[in-house]
Amino acid sequence: MTKVLMKGNEAIGEAAIRAGCLHFFGYPITPQSEVPEYLAKRMPEVGGTFVQAESEVAASNMIYGSAGVGIKVLTTSSSPGISLMAEGLSYIAACELPVVLVNIMRSGPGLGGILPAQGDYLQATKGTGHGDFQLIVLAPSSVQEAVDLVVLAFELAEKYLNPVMVIGDGMIGQMMEPVEFPPEGQGKPLDPGDWALTGCKGRKKRIINSLYLDPIECNDINLKLKAKYDLIAKKEKRWETYNCDKPYDLLICSFGMMSRICKTAIDDLAEQGIQVGLFRPITVNPFPYEACRKAMDKAKRVLVLEMNMGQMLEDIKLAGEGSKEIDFFGTAGGVVLSPDESLLKMRKSLRKIPKATKAKPKKKPAKKTKAAKKRKSR
Amino acid sequence: MVVGNYGSGKTEVAVNLALQLAKSGKSVSIADLDIVNPYFRCREARQQMEDHGIRVVVPPAAYTWADLPIIVPEIKGMLQPGPDQISLFDVGGDDAGAKLLSSLFEALGDSPYELWQVINSRRPFTDTPAGCLQMRNQIEQASRLKVTGLAVNTHLMDETTPAVILEGVEVARQVSNEGGIPIRFVAAMEELAEAPELGQLDLTILQLGRYMLQPWIQKRENKRIPEAKAVPIGKP
Repeated sequence: MTKVLMKGNEAIGEAAIRAGCLHFFGYPITPQSEVPEYLAKRMPEVGGTFVQAESEVAASNMIYGSAGVGIKVLTTSSSPGISLMAEGLSYIAACELPVVLVNIMRSGPGLGGILPAQGDYLQATKGTGHGDFQLIVLAPSSVQEAVDLVVLAFELAEKYLNPVMVIGDGMIGQMMEPVEFPPEGQGKPLDPGDWALTGCKGRKKRIINSLYLDPIECNDINLKLKAKYDLIAKKEKRWETYNCDKPYDLLICSFGMMSRICKTAIDDLAEQGIQVGLFRPITVNPFPYEACRKAMDKAKRVLVLEMNMGQMLEDIKLAGEGSKEIDFFGTAGGVVLSPDESLLKMRKSLRKIPKATKAKPKKKPAKKTKAAKKRKSR
Repeated sequence: MVVGNYGSGKTEVAVNLALQLAKSGKSVSIADLDIVNPYFRCREARQQMEDHGIRVVVPPAAYTWADLPIIVPEIKGMLQPGPDQISLFDVGGDDAGAKLLSSLFEALGDSPYELWQVINSRRPFTDTPAGCLQMRNQIEQASRLKVTGLAVNTHLMDETTPAVILEGVEVARQVSNEGGIPIRFVAAMEELAEAPELGQLDLTILQLGRYMLQPWIQKRENKRIPEAKAVPIGKP
């Protein structure tokens, strides 16, 4: 297939169409607006439906209703807009409906700015809305991966009857890269199964509802959801390791575009003879704790770099269970570290590793240095 | 004035034109009129351009990182450049971006202008001659101006090959024939500009340096600016 040059936002829209999604409801907000703009042009071409909702609250209820009648549906927004959708998403998760949403994150808190950030990690993975529910959350680091993960998101949403969110910082939405799509016409409509409201003539009526006044009944719903989330955690964890096949002293943990900047810095360090590994979660929920721990176990020290004030850091700490010293550096507000600045942060962490414990020169264990003693006594 | 669908590479072309014209001794002003894109606008290359004596007209500093349709007063002055002065306008994408030019229509009056449509035929909606011509019509209607030239900028970023560029030239030739618009130049990144396949073309090649960089790409300092001898500008 011929490659085309596309903006992340456009590619996300096209990927949804290729996945068989012919319904979009959403509201424009920078830096995500090209998704509705693109789909406003494209949906009529493929016989689909595009509706600009009156607000994000409305959009979240439109996808709720559409999924309820068995329609494959997408909405997209950026940080403040996702906050507005929180209530609807809780209802959708409670009713076990398959929807896909995309958050092209901008800087915050509040109105913040329109530049790229990763400040909605905890919102996406831990607390999107009220009540005990979880989203499956996928974090691409390139436009091609955004395409692939949007297609996967529709598969997972249908498989587990759960909302799936793709999170990318503003740069993922705005930058352009050559991409390939699955062929047109391959995506299938949603299977209405035994849950969608398709008209009850000749069968028992179905109800989609999230009100359970009886405590036992409501507890049972929560237990059922918990069992599903456990199954998802068991089956669907995805991650990438980079430069982890060689011995390394320092492991970098980052996700999304930040991991790409880190890769440039890691390549530069490798040219200087210093090997540094990278662990990048692709599913940020469920978080691949075990794989992360495995990568951490090979390192002497860990450095977490994020475009926020330390959100995925909490998951890295959970994965490490206190076994490793963890450094963190974050930027927010739309400030993005350059590869060189990231490299300096890596060098700073490397300097904190006591020489005696470094992996490379495999000679006799040297006497304890001052730094090593200090580290042990901590 | 550089127009085209968004993502066609208008800004990269405009910044390169500005730098090459400045190098050739012209007094160059460039206005960032992008009211469509929130990132990758020519204001991001402001320093590099100012270092080469280019006057860069952008919204006030407080609004550098805003996505607001701001037209500063200096823009109107730029529409009547003096002798040896060249004004470049980096216009936002699609008819939405070109609409801004309509507000300058009266101020422009009878002044001669060039309005170049940048075409990347590997972009959605302009992958066929018909798509490019439709885009031209939409831009002309929105701007109340006429497209006077085509800038062929078909590329796939780092995955561009001479074949990809030639494919873009073919689309542009059809647009040129059907629309009666001359091809002004074919843009190619420095590393591809010398390719023998492009040397056989009877068209001007505009060598491009990359200024709109994605954040993980290492910036190269002291970028060499190619000679501007071949830029057919100032001959309306």
